[in-house]
Amino acid sequence: MHGPRRYVFVWIALLALTGTTYGMSKVDLGGHWNLVVALAIAAAKASLVVLFFMHLWDAKGTNRLVFIVSIFFVLLLIAGVVGDMATRFPLARPPEATGLQGGVEPGPGRDPMHGSQNERVR
Amino acid sequence: MEARLAHHFRAIETQRQAERLGMWLFLATEVLLFAGLFCGYTLYRFLYPDTFHLASGHLDVGLGTVNTVVLISSSLTVALAHHFARQGRSRLAGALLFVSVLAGLAFLGIKAVEYGHKFEEGLLPGRYFHNEELGGAPGASMFFTLYFLTTGLHAFHVMIGMGVLTWIGARAWRGEFHENHTMPVELSGLYWHLVDLVWIFLYPLLYLV
Repeated sequence: MHGPRRYVFVWIALLALTGTTYGMSKVDLGGHWNLVVALAIAAAKASLVVLFFMHLWDAKGTNRLVFIVSIFFVLLLIAGVVGDMATRFPLARPPEATGLQGGVEPGPGRDPMHGSQNERVR
Repeated sequence: MEARLAHHFRAIETQRQAERLGMWLFLATEVLLFAGLFCGYTLYRFLYPDTFHLASGHLDVGLGTVNTVVLISSSLTVALAHHFARQGRSRLAGALLFVSVLAGLAFLGIKAVEYGHKFEEGLLPGRYFHNEELGGAPGASMFFTLYFLTTGLHAFHVMIGMGVLTWIGARAWRGEFHENHTMPVELSGLYWHLVDLVWIFLYPLLYLV
């Protein structure tokens, strides 16, 4: 399928996915599943735009490679930063961060919630 | 005006491929520009998940969703403009590009209304943050710093895109493009789709989760 019909079908699919992600945000899936579902739908929408509106479906290899490599480096950057923050010992993190409880086990004397040093920091 | 073959290319198809490759390389740098902000978002969301959830509730999901639809539809008209330019219907392509520019204008208008609400509620970046409801939550001002940085940089790209589409749209309206000469429509379209692409990720990350 080529031409305007293909574009209109992609557009309808994008609108449907937008409706889906809006609807899913109203449902509490528990844990991080809301985020996972929202990002999966966003990735599906992005793929439709890239493959059909931006013609990577019909493109030559080099153009695809450029785009895939740029996405790879974005993921590498994010993975590096989050991996760093997740594996730091607790005092090296912002004192009020709530997202890391249950992460790496704090060593003796380093526990930010009970350490006497940390009381002074706060 | 005919697409001319530069002397250092063997065939017109090679030249077109090089033109597309150049645009994709530029788009890759744009992706990496936004990647810094997405990375910052990921980091602070990782540190303050509860606050980000609360702060996200202060954004207007309805307006965000309308803006998503507006931008997706403007991508459709840009894609159709390229299609009709290839068929030699340059004037129609120009009209479709002008429709896309109007959609971009609508997007910015809605964004301005949203920004107005945030100003009134004191949901501002960094030390200008003075919202009482969220005041005590650690990381709340960081959410709005990231909100204004990401949507601001994105809105700036929308403006540039509108400028480019107006220029190419005017050339299309004068009948410049035909079967063998559509590259400006195609490449400016790629830029507009990238702007759409960034919003596709900003919308769920800021408004929905």
